[in-house]
Amino acid sequence: MREKILYALGLAGALLLLRNLYVILLQLPDESAQGAIYRIIFFHVPSWFTCFTGFFVAGVSSILYLVKKKPVYDTFAVATVEVGLVFTIIGLITGMIWARIIWGIWWTWDARLTWAFITCLIYAGYLMLRGAIDEATARARYAAVLCIFAFTSVVITFKAIEWWRTQHPGPVLSIRTRGGNMDPAMESMLYLNWLALMLISAVLTAVRMNQEGVLRQVEGLRRQVHASS
Amino acid sequence: MDQRNFTYMFYGLAAVWAVLAIYVLTLVSRESRLSKQLNGLERMLSEKETRKG
Amino acid sequence: MFFRHSLAVAMKDLRSEFRTKESLNAAFAFAAMILVLFSFVVDVGDSEILYSMSGGVLWMTFLFSGALILNRSFAREQPNDCLDALLASPLSGSALWLGKALANFVMLLAVELFALPLFGALYNLTWTRSLGWLAVVLVLGAWGIAVVGTMFSALTVNLRLRELMLPTLIYPMLIPLLMGAIRLTTILISGQPITGDDWIWFRLLVGFDIIFTSLALLLVEVVLLG
Repeated sequence: MREKILYALGLAGALLLLRNLYVILLQLPDESAQGAIYRIIFFHVPSWFTCFTGFFVAGVSSILYLVKKKPVYDTFAVATVEVGLVFTIIGLITGMIWARIIWGIWWTWDARLTWAFITCLIYAGYLMLRGAIDEATARARYAAVLCIFAFTSVVITFKAIEWWRTQHPGPVLSIRTRGGNMDPAMESMLYLNWLALMLISAVLTAVRMNQEGVLRQVEGLRRQVHASS
Repeated sequence: MDQRNFTYMFYGLAAVWAVLAIYVLTLVSRESRLSKQLNGLERMLSEKETRKG
Repeated sequence: MFFRHSLAVAMKDLRSEFRTKESLNAAFAFAAMILVLFSFVVDVGDSEILYSMSGGVLWMTFLFSGALILNRSFAREQPNDCLDALLASPLSGSALWLGKALANFVMLLAVELFALPLFGALYNLTWTRSLGWLAVVLVLGAWGIAVVGTMFSALTVNLRLRELMLPTLIYPMLIPLLMGAIRLTTILISGQPITGDDWIWFRLLVGFDIIFTSLALLLVEVVLLG
């Protein structure tokens, strides 16, 4: 049953992505100032939203772990962080490719980009920390604490374009600008693509959670082998 | 707009798929590694059981 | 009661540190070494460039030599299982953490007070032009490093590769603080006033200290006691 739901979610995500790609490439017109390259925004912004969502969920799940001590929350946190990190990398790379054309450079050290990069490093550190601890409950506890600390960086990344004058474009979505910055058809495409990426990341998260469960099983068996020998 | 603008748009879109594909591949390889480990450990345990019993 | 406990821990740490001086001496020597190394990075003849890089050079020095101090903070309690004894005592986990953070704060300040005049002398800079604000920035920065560093020192104390994991985890965490501190220190050492846009860095510094101190006080019991 669970697998069937996953397949359905994955299929829905893939179909939605295909349909979105069709609209993005063939129906929406080029942007007047940027030309064709602006279409990267339809993956850049949604993938950052996906990773922010993932890190937020991981933070909540870490708090829940510390309160309730149920391993499933830890499993959920590590899966969402890892999938979130994938979308962080997608966001960084698409942003760099866009910047190469629009700014003429791959990277600039303005507040938004710097913090996005830091966020990436911090969550990579989260995965490294997990790799360095063998004992499952200590690993879950320490990782949860780090995950809560790390979320501050996500908040700063999200707000950086409002707090500093950055080279990175300011907010475009009407929920943040209170309207008027973007064509409604393009804006709704951003949300649709976000939905598609969220569906895909839900499937990836479920797969990753499953693996974390197997990993626990392997660790348990290994202890058993050591104990019996 | 010029050709380069267009090419880089495709690079950008391709990058999305490439990163996702790489992640899926790491997931697959981890899956097979874990199941190999699990099987090996289970075999070891059952061998020990039979030797004891 | 809580603060008396933390103060006792801080005094204990400082006393044992000043008796052996093992991490302080290492931190001082390392700070001096970094300052020497930076002379190869910067064009030492151009005082304009030197002033514009002063904040960065100083905070890198504090950060790298500070990591030596932070590494020792909880590792100090490992021989003879002192940490377990401390946790078994009536001391609360957060009081223990606060005490250790205070001790680290004092030692970081010591490193800053050692490195700053040395930096001024080695690179021929007058750094005393707005001493009051500079002191405020140094104190805020040192407290931020101490808070995050002590927290992660507790987190990494039992790990393999402890010396490696601590910097990899805390440096990115500290970057907001460092960006603010570097910017403000550069301005203050160059003798300019803090104006308009730069107050946001000051607010960032204060906000960072408040947020991470409260987060750490909330979460440290979980790390230490489970």
